[in-house]
Amino acid sequence: MDEEPERAKRWEGGYERTWEVLKEDESGSLRASVEEILYQAKRKRVMETHGQVRLGMMRHLYVVIDCSRSMEDQDLKPNRLSSTLKVLHPPPTFSTSKGVGIITTKNKRAEKLTELAGNPKKHVAALRKAVDTVCAGEPSLYNALSLAVHTLKHMPGHTSREVLIVLSSLTTCDPSNIYELIKTLKSLKVRVSVIGLSAEVRVCTVLTRETGGFYHVILDESHFKELLMLHVKPPPASASSECSLIRMGFPQHCVASLSDQDAKPSFSMSQLDGDSPGLSLSGYFCPQCHAKYTELPVECKVCGLTLVSAPHLARSFHHLFPLQAFTESPVEQHTDRSCQGCQGRLKDRSVFSCPSCFSSFCMDCDLFIHDSLHCCPCCIHGPSVS
Amino acid sequence: MKLNIDGLLVWFPYDFIYPEQFSYMLELKRTLDAKGHGVLEMPSGTGKTISLLSLIVAYQRAFPLEVTKLIYCSRTVPEIEKVVEELRRLMEFYAKETGESNNFLSLALSSRKNLCIHPEVSSLRFGKEVDGKCHSLTASYVRAQRHSNPNLPTCRFYEEFDAVGRQVPLPAGIYNLDDLKDFGRRKGWCPYYLARYAILHANIVVYSYHYLLDPKIADLVSKELAKNSVVVFDEAHNIDNVCIDSMSVNITRRTLDRCQTNVDTLQNTIQKIKETDAAKLKAEYRRLVEGLKEANVARETDVYLANPVLPDEILREAVPGTIRTAEHFVGFLRRFLEYLKSRLRVHHVVQESAPQFLKDIFDKVCIDRKPLRFCAERLQSLLRTLEIADIADFSSVTLISNFATLVSTYSQGFTLIIEPFEDRTPTIANPVLHFSCMDPSIAIKPVFQRFQSVIITSGTLSPLDVYPKILDFRPVTMASFTMTLARTCLCPLIVGRGNDQVALSSKFETREDFAVIRNYGNLLLEMSAVVPDGIVAFFTSYVYMENIVASWYEQGILENIQRNKLIFIETPDAAETSMALEKYQEACENGRGAILLSVARGKVSEGIDFVHHFGRAVIMFGVPYVYTQSRILKARLEYLRDQFQIRENDFLTFDAMRHAAQCVGRAIRGKTDYGLMIFADKRYARADKRGKLPRWIQEHISDGSLNLTVDESVQRSKHFLRQMAQPFRQEDQLGLSLLTLEQLQSEETLKRIAQIAHQT
Repeated sequence: MDEEPERAKRWEGGYERTWEVLKEDESGSLRASVEEILYQAKRKRVMETHGQVRLGMMRHLYVVIDCSRSMEDQDLKPNRLSSTLKVLHPPPTFSTSKGVGIITTKNKRAEKLTELAGNPKKHVAALRKAVDTVCAGEPSLYNALSLAVHTLKHMPGHTSREVLIVLSSLTTCDPSNIYELIKTLKSLKVRVSVIGLSAEVRVCTVLTRETGGFYHVILDESHFKELLMLHVKPPPASASSECSLIRMGFPQHCVASLSDQDAKPSFSMSQLDGDSPGLSLSGYFCPQCHAKYTELPVECKVCGLTLVSAPHLARSFHHLFPLQAFTESPVEQHTDRSCQGCQGRLKDRSVFSCPSCFSSFCMDCDLFIHDSLHCCPCCIHGPSVS
Repeated sequence: MKLNIDGLLVWFPYDFIYPEQFSYMLELKRTLDAKGHGVLEMPSGTGKTISLLSLIVAYQRAFPLEVTKLIYCSRTVPEIEKVVEELRRLMEFYAKETGESNNFLSLALSSRKNLCIHPEVSSLRFGKEVDGKCHSLTASYVRAQRHSNPNLPTCRFYEEFDAVGRQVPLPAGIYNLDDLKDFGRRKGWCPYYLARYAILHANIVVYSYHYLLDPKIADLVSKELAKNSVVVFDEAHNIDNVCIDSMSVNITRRTLDRCQTNVDTLQNTIQKIKETDAAKLKAEYRRLVEGLKEANVARETDVYLANPVLPDEILREAVPGTIRTAEHFVGFLRRFLEYLKSRLRVHHVVQESAPQFLKDIFDKVCIDRKPLRFCAERLQSLLRTLEIADIADFSSVTLISNFATLVSTYSQGFTLIIEPFEDRTPTIANPVLHFSCMDPSIAIKPVFQRFQSVIITSGTLSPLDVYPKILDFRPVTMASFTMTLARTCLCPLIVGRGNDQVALSSKFETREDFAVIRNYGNLLLEMSAVVPDGIVAFFTSYVYMENIVASWYEQGILENIQRNKLIFIETPDAAETSMALEKYQEACENGRGAILLSVARGKVSEGIDFVHHFGRAVIMFGVPYVYTQSRILKARLEYLRDQFQIRENDFLTFDAMRHAAQCVGRAIRGKTDYGLMIFADKRYARADKRGKLPRWIQEHISDGSLNLTVDESVQRSKHFLRQMAQPFRQEDQLGLSLLTLEQLQSEETLKRIAQIAHQT
């Protein structure tokens, strides 16, 4: 406690209306009506995932984090910056992202925290470091976007170019007319999405509408996480984007000493980027040029081949073949009043049942199955039981 | 869609309808059926205009003999244009659905300045110049002179119109100002005179209030409109002030000086004419002996709208002998003028009634009441006889003669105040004679008497019962409608205390209080950090705003605010203000965010809408009472108390609250819009203030939001803004605040609709 003198005391903090959270529903109250709308939206998201659409599986994504003064606001605990970093911290595996990069903006400037890279480790490290940054000044949407565009415009046409902005401030300080930049973004097919931490800002509405992205404003922390998850799912590829086959290498992990007695520890090629040096015997060897890497996924520094392991691909499998939506029915129709997922009693108005094994689930389990598990537990379990 | 309003088939040009629109139409229908007057309040952005138009047009089609004409009065030219566009939409819908082209003629009318197509005249900048120039080209005697001297300049558009325009009626259709101009150019006819002529047989006329209320203009334009018309005053919350302004006269020393030159010119012209054309003056004299009989005949046959300046009695009498000849009349004017000059030489404030003034003028310069009453009429006659082309130059003497007629005609309802200096600058002598109308009903009375239905409507008319009282009429319907909402998109908050518990108020005693000013600054600062895009802040007066802003500057509050948003300030100068507005909108548009500091009762508070991101929050600093020390106001309050039993305090509060409601209402211009309404004054929490807000605002003020501190209101605002930023689609509204035809016909909805109208 003594180490953090700058963090405000409880009584110095913002005025909270904690009792309002407890309010479950009140006829016609604002909270109830908005929650109803949110519930519908939640369901809609599950429903929407179906149908055969071509997805842009290869993504290039820049995450822009606002580090302006307003990030010190304490309406998310302990403050907006820490909370944002916490939400981002186990970086949501942005499907088969070809690369994620992080840009921060403060003091009317934008700077690149990490370059586009497929490997999440570096971002984790960078984010961990970022917790201590001082938030100051105003953000600049223009600078951040032009920095991102600078790199993204060189990316090949079959991959998607995306920017996700986490914006806390309600103002932006731009060196020039942002509407010109929006036009450029549109022509380059860069998709910009924004997650607002405080309120709806007009320029973001226009920005996202023009570039085809999403604009969401958070309600609280859990909603924040939910909104971020939305962006994990690869976006449908636009019809105009190119298609091409991609060469990929699947190197096996080998320990050099086992096959060759003369082997000496060697450096990894990824060290060229200035990662922590370390000699090792084992590693992944590029099937094309035999360059050595300690971690996957990575793009081979020597021959440019994309190196992945099978689980990486498997992880994005569910995006292509999603689990079918469960059918909704009122609770009265069910004799069995317990959820197959959590074994709890079904309390909600409606029950969701799997179309193939007809087990019923509650709303939360339904969401969990569709968001995280991506397969119906009863279907997998079923055949072995019978 | 096709609606059944109480047995009347109404075509509504949209696929969806708001429940309150349906309810509004029901009330309107009832008013028209009863051939009476109505007062209807419905929030802005809920489609008042289209409801009015579609119902009345349907009524006109169903009962063509009952209602022949709709006269729609609005305030500004952009509003007039908007009404015409809605009307066009409605008529296109009619044409599409019924398949027949109907023969409705609807047109907008505005001043010459907006309608003139003469290449030289239309390039003039001020309305007065355009009027004067037009008159010098088209007056009847100018044209008569041209017969003898064809080199005189003419307006070919007017000549062309005069030659053929009257024979051919304007083809049916919808004409806004530009359409009229186009039509005029095509045909080579003057659009202004064409429109003035066409309103006589048009089905729908859209024009400004003044064409009906200002006696000088109404006499020219509107006096021949048919009796069975429906008159609608839209945005009518200020109608009493419009009435009063149109009947009041202010005379300064400059007016008198100009008047003096006018009289000299008159004298010279008379001399000249006497030498050249004495017969003309003789003819005029004979006409005056005959009296104003002619005008009287016209009125009896009920063709004309009564002119409140010229009451009936005058018409029965002949012009008195003392002012019948031109020289005598000029001499009379001179005497009157000298008398006024002497009155303006006072050093203390004088307040007297009209009879007192008449007695005084009789004692001092032996001017009787009777010739005074004929002054205005006599001057008009003289100006006609003398064939003076440029009427604009004679505005001062016309003003004086109008004053003479008014002061001698009305012994009640007016007061005369002479102030030797302005209150704020007691050292600078600037004498002004106010002849001020106390009773708005005088100007509007002919309208109520003449037309079978007069509808007064606006977004903010609460409390409804005041209007019938001060305008002196008996409405058959009075109703206030609320806004049905799928989500609560307005958030009124009453901030009564600062974070340090100092009571916030703009009342006189605490006005200079440092703590209050600081807390007001703090409120704006905190709000600027949580509200996106645009904030509009209203102060009670320019002086108050200047003081506060200067004080904020010294305390460094402005600097802090500018980190969040740019600051723009409204000034009394129109050009500066429109510049500030433009930049304000630009800053809202590109994400920088902006604050507009403006004044209640100013230009911004009345005419400018702040839709969506242009106004996410409105902050009302203080209660916008009028300047209560003004003598005119005091006299008016006294009059209201004596005549209508309205207590001073009630009227002041009513007036303040309707302006406050106007200001905060700027933010919400529709159901998809949302905005905060912050009333930053402790006094708003009192029942007498709160109760006078329109119902659609009142019902969202919960007991919990009555006396908030700055901190609490910031938390609420944050919460509200996050909720409102969630996606909101049309489907969410359907069935609740937006109805399809099927939904409208369900039993349950009809029951709900019945509750929307709040009868008083």
